[in-house]
Amino acid sequence: MDINAVKQLAEKNGIVFLTYAGFLSQTLISGMTEALEKEAEYGKLGAGEATNIFTIFIEMAQNIMNYAKAKRPDGSFNKPEGIIVVGKCEDGSCYYVQSQNNVDLQDKEKIQAKLEEIVTMDSESLKKRYRELRRSGRDSHDKGAGIGMYEIAKRCQRVEFSFLPNDQGQFAFQLKAIVTVNKGEIL
Amino acid sequence: MDNLNIEATKYTPAIKLAIDGMMSFVGKSYPENTFEFYRPVLAWLNDYFSGDQISDKILIKFEIDYFNSSTSSVFYNLFEIFDAQREKRNILVHWCHKADDDSSLEAGEDFVEDFPDLDIQFIVQ
Repeated sequence: MDINAVKQLAEKNGIVFLTYAGFLSQTLISGMTEALEKEAEYGKLGAGEATNIFTIFIEMAQNIMNYAKAKRPDGSFNKPEGIIVVGKCEDGSCYYVQSQNNVDLQDKEKIQAKLEEIVTMDSESLKKRYRELRRSGRDSHDKGAGIGMYEIAKRCQRVEFSFLPNDQGQFAFQLKAIVTVNKGEIL
Repeated sequence: MDNLNIEATKYTPAIKLAIDGMMSFVGKSYPENTFEFYRPVLAWLNDYFSGDQISDKILIKFEIDYFNSSTSSVFYNLFEIFDAQREKRNILVHWCHKADDDSSLEAGEDFVEDFPDLDIQFIVQ
């Protein structure tokens, strides 16, 4: 294992605060959130941006963790396994939170439909839809494709996503949320 | 009926619900199973407001650094409970946030829009 190659890869992609690949658990997520809090302190991040980054990170990590609790169509379970990266954009104008985990075809369709709608919405309509969903109580238990996607979108400036098919008939679901920094707050 | 006291953990807030009407939620909220975690809180509030020891004056303080989306749904349910009591007694909500934390402020403003008749005040920490 060339650990320096991992470090170089991280550096090439801006300053990476946190990168993790493997099983996600609640205690791990809270440990990583603490590490992010330290980064936010050192980086003198604005409180609003820090709150948004923590919220998006927790939402993505818990999505991956909770996705593994739902039964697959064949009765088996997914592993609570994924990759999650938090970093600063190279030009310093933004931060990003990025995740990847494997999803089944039927979940891909659900998530994709939701995200395709989300990327076309402006912040006012996002906020409106989020509040509608919250009020209705629907969707809140829906694994991976519930109100959480709207929470992520509401707290960042831009969402990017893709689904890459793998050999096991599943898809690698990649999600990236970009949080821009207010002028004057860049390190 | 007893007061309800729940100690904070790294991912759940300290919760104090007192029969004298002082209530608070302080810390972070992203439990592994949010609905399970808040079940006793909702049960306590429902018991309290259907009992005969209700205080005329109720102050609920939310001082939450950050929370996940399922917590947001549960908070909505809490606000519904408080809103239903609004005409019968004096209910005041303090939504606390850091001075430069627009994100937390906006989360509070979302509740103001959903519960326009509830007395929700913003407190800068």
